[in-house]
Amino acid sequence: MSELSTQTGPTAVERQTVERLRDAGMYAPGDAVLSVRDLNVRFNSENGVVHAVRGVDFDLKAGKTLGIVGESGSGKSVTSMAIMGLLPETADITGSVRFKGQELLGLSDKAMCKHRGSDIAMVFQDPLSSLTPVYTVGHQIIEALTVHNPGMSSRAKEARAIELLQMVGIPSPQARLKSFPHEFSGGMRQRVMIAIAIANDPRVLIADEPTTALDVTIQAQVLEVLHAAQEETGAAVVMITHDLGVVAGMADDIMVMYAGKPVETGAVEDIYYRPRMPYTMGLLGAVPRVDSAQKSSLVPIEGTPPNLIKPVTGCSFADRCPLVTDECRAAEPELLSVVDGGAPASTAGSGDGGHRAACIKSGALLDVDAHSIFHAPPVPVSKFDGVPRDERSAVLELKDVKKHFPLLKGSLFKRRIGTVKAVDGLSFDIREGECLSIVGESGCGKTTTLLEIMEFHPEQVGEVVIGGVSNKAATDGKTKQAMRKEMQMVFQDPTGALDPRFTVYEVLAEPLENLGYPKDAIRKRIMELMKLVGLQPDHVNRFPNQFSGGQRQRIGIARALAVNPKLVVLDEPVSALDVSVQAGVINLLDQLRAELGLSYLMVAHDLSVVRHISNRVAVMYLGKIVEMGDVDQVFDNPRHPYTRALLSAIPVPDPELERTRERIILQGDLPTPLDAPKGCNFATRCPVFAALPKAKQEKCLTLEPPLAAEASAAEGATAGGRVPEEAQQFACFFPDGEIDADMLVVHA
Amino acid sequence: MTNLTDTVVEIDEAKAADVVIGKGRIIFRRFMRNKTAVTGLAVFLALFAFSLFGGFLTSWDKDTIDPLNIGMGPSPEHLLGTSQAGIDLLALVVEGTRVSILIGLIVGGLSVLISAIYGCTMAFFGGKVDSVMLFILEALIMMPAILVVAVATSGGGQSLKELPSWLLLTAVLLFFSWMGTARLVRSLAMSLMQRDYVKAAKYMGVPSMTIVRRHLVPNIGSLLVLDFTRGITGAILAEVAFSYIGIGIKLPDVSLGVLIGGATGQVSSFPWMFWVPLTVMFLLTGSLAMMNDGLRDAFDPSSTSIGRARTTKTLNAKKKNK
Repeated sequence: MSELSTQTGPTAVERQTVERLRDAGMYAPGDAVLSVRDLNVRFNSENGVVHAVRGVDFDLKAGKTLGIVGESGSGKSVTSMAIMGLLPETADITGSVRFKGQELLGLSDKAMCKHRGSDIAMVFQDPLSSLTPVYTVGHQIIEALTVHNPGMSSRAKEARAIELLQMVGIPSPQARLKSFPHEFSGGMRQRVMIAIAIANDPRVLIADEPTTALDVTIQAQVLEVLHAAQEETGAAVVMITHDLGVVAGMADDIMVMYAGKPVETGAVEDIYYRPRMPYTMGLLGAVPRVDSAQKSSLVPIEGTPPNLIKPVTGCSFADRCPLVTDECRAAEPELLSVVDGGAPASTAGSGDGGHRAACIKSGALLDVDAHSIFHAPPVPVSKFDGVPRDERSAVLELKDVKKHFPLLKGSLFKRRIGTVKAVDGLSFDIREGECLSIVGESGCGKTTTLLEIMEFHPEQVGEVVIGGVSNKAATDGKTKQAMRKEMQMVFQDPTGALDPRFTVYEVLAEPLENLGYPKDAIRKRIMELMKLVGLQPDHVNRFPNQFSGGQRQRIGIARALAVNPKLVVLDEPVSALDVSVQAGVINLLDQLRAELGLSYLMVAHDLSVVRHISNRVAVMYLGKIVEMGDVDQVFDNPRHPYTRALLSAIPVPDPELERTRERIILQGDLPTPLDAPKGCNFATRCPVFAALPKAKQEKCLTLEPPLAAEASAAEGATAGGRVPEEAQQFACFFPDGEIDADMLVVHA
Repeated sequence: MTNLTDTVVEIDEAKAADVVIGKGRIIFRRFMRNKTAVTGLAVFLALFAFSLFGGFLTSWDKDTIDPLNIGMGPSPEHLLGTSQAGIDLLALVVEGTRVSILIGLIVGGLSVLISAIYGCTMAFFGGKVDSVMLFILEALIMMPAILVVAVATSGGGQSLKELPSWLLLTAVLLFFSWMGTARLVRSLAMSLMQRDYVKAAKYMGVPSMTIVRRHLVPNIGSLLVLDFTRGITGAILAEVAFSYIGIGIKLPDVSLGVLIGGATGQVSSFPWMFWVPLTVMFLLTGSLAMMNDGLRDAFDPSSTSIGRARTTKTLNAKKKNK
């Protein structure tokens, strides 16, 4: 500490005065538990010094939640690591981080250890790698207790560990104490991480993207646990995320970060309802909504964040801002208070200064629609939109497709001890110009379904018909080639899908060469494709690693479109992209579907994206479709309890709605497909089943509900001039049943 | 493929601001940036030239005995001195270096080729083919190489005896040198088969052999190039070792190993006979080891020399501007 004071020169005197005042008891407990002032972090890299965090200020009061939102590379995680003192020693950190008035920056690693885990605790992003695999879960919780409470008896520690596991909702905690991390699912491990974090009643809990690696239903569970943990300990929470929905319901204050600097801070309502910085407005407009049929295009934010190796002159967002003027580039705007005209300045949750934004035009941005300032493209209209569904021809048809994996045991002689039914009797079709999405938790068989379609081999159980060619008939190479031309795929990870040794030209030429196009035609087609997906034609000579993630995905889309397919299979096309980039790619997909009359088969776990882009949706659970139908019909009026739970698990970027809405929190995880129950697959987790009387439960356990449209609904649909085929189908005996009260959560 | 890109480069160069550099030139540049590697290459090329044209430095050849200078140290007549039998050492070293490099190049090159084909085949076909080929591979790995070399070079049948001993040794070394790399190639190719870009090509309907040629081999390429230079070193060292213990190359054939082995007994009385071939061997293997690092930097797209490469490039450009 003294070292630091001598180094910092003139300010040292001031700082010491402040410190003395605080030490003398001037520090009131009602003040912020954690206050960060002018935090700057610099890293050295091969190319120069990266200024990763450039002046972060915030105060955090006990029991309050601060949400830090931003894209990857905006400095969110670095900020949290700097607070925890976990950055490498090579990083240059300046500014001040005070915990209850005590300076944390500059403390030695050993001194910092006293605070870490007891005063300030952290929950990390990846639950799979944050627990040590060789120790039991109990051992790891007790370790956290031992470090900070050396005097505690081992019996007390064990009792506390059981209490903690109970608190985070792990069933039979006494027995689970002896389990190893690999015996827990991802969601359970994240619960254990939370238990370890709150073991010593921390005053500050930092959660760095705690649910990003988890499924939506599990995410809802974990967010619930975090909420409970905060209520239990009264800790202040810093929630770091890129998902505006996740923080909407939890946070009191929001800080939006861009290029290492907070660009807008304020109470959650201010940020969501009255954003005053173009970047925040863009971010909010870029997120599709799951709770309403939204037929306007998303707001794309063009370009990429600035490189922080170069000093930032002017507004860091200027290059991507549609409202940029020369004034913006003159100097970097300060984070200044904005006057929320009309609306009463809500100071309910805000720590200090109310609503502040770093934009010279923030005064003029009240009640301005993000769609108009960001020039969101008009909604594209496809030539198929007017044609009734049954008059369009089918481009893909699946009839009772199955994929069962044998489960073998034994080293020398393999015995079959069971079957994993990854895909179990799938039938659906896709018509021209429509997009069908398959949704479900990981492990439900979505990706296996895609692979079965793409493999297209004759030994397939069930029939796959693509553009009139059945896989049973496709024995020779020529038919297969013809079918391949009809269907192309876009992969989830745009980096892995492009050969790092190919230039963009080579990547795009590959499918064309394969079909024997002449060289001139290939060159012409590639230039067309580059224009089609919005890339500069002179970028064809670059290698994939010279592009950003969004651009790479555009190349992947261009490759898929090269041979003019009728159907494009999209495997999580935007899940690897940042929100602002994602919007651009979604708009592109929408536009291409309309212009080229494409059909999409999409697999996605993000239901808001699904709602935005698809016409029809199929919900899968353990290898079976449990509900299928028109996307608005299914999302607005879900009949199957699983669909209801899935939809209610999605956080909505609307704080008021998010705080008051009812949520179904499913209990437990997806069961392994190995011990799939005899009757309804979903019975083990079903909220309706749990509320049913015994007699009715028997039906669920013994009979398998078929996928069918409800009789009355089908009749009504026919009467209304619609074809029954289009009606919503679901596989449940008791749709719209009462939901078990235990699984319903409403926040006060 | 490269032709295609080249035409585009020409067309676009007019309007495109960024000049695109050919892949070969990038690799060459990156290699040249590593000074150690360039030194290694220079030393290796010098030794190669020495082994081919070194004979012109002396009027003596390796079969002629100089009865006036038996076991003499370096002198103007014999630049490196003579052996106990009165044969010019320079002529012997030139011959030995040539044989050693020849063995190295043949064994290093062919073993890489064999292992690439064997490994890729295993990975690509998988299943039964993979298990059978893997079994053969494991069996070969477990076979004691030194015994086979000893039997083949000394106790073998009459037909084997008629072959020049260096060719025989090359064949045996080749037989035992490719298995490790083949296993490595197999595992690498297997992981590449799972990459999305290979899947993408498959789903495009690209024929299997084209996928192997265009996606698998180039991505294994940097490993193969590295293994080529490593293989040369390994073969030279193995030759020296076998010849040293007397089961490798037999007189009258000469190699570096034979020379070193023959001189160990009299290091104190004929030091030049021992140190000269040893130095040549060290230069040979040392230069190859120095080259390896530079080759890795040049071929591996994920190596950090990309970042550094750009800055050096701009720095050079700046220097030129000044």
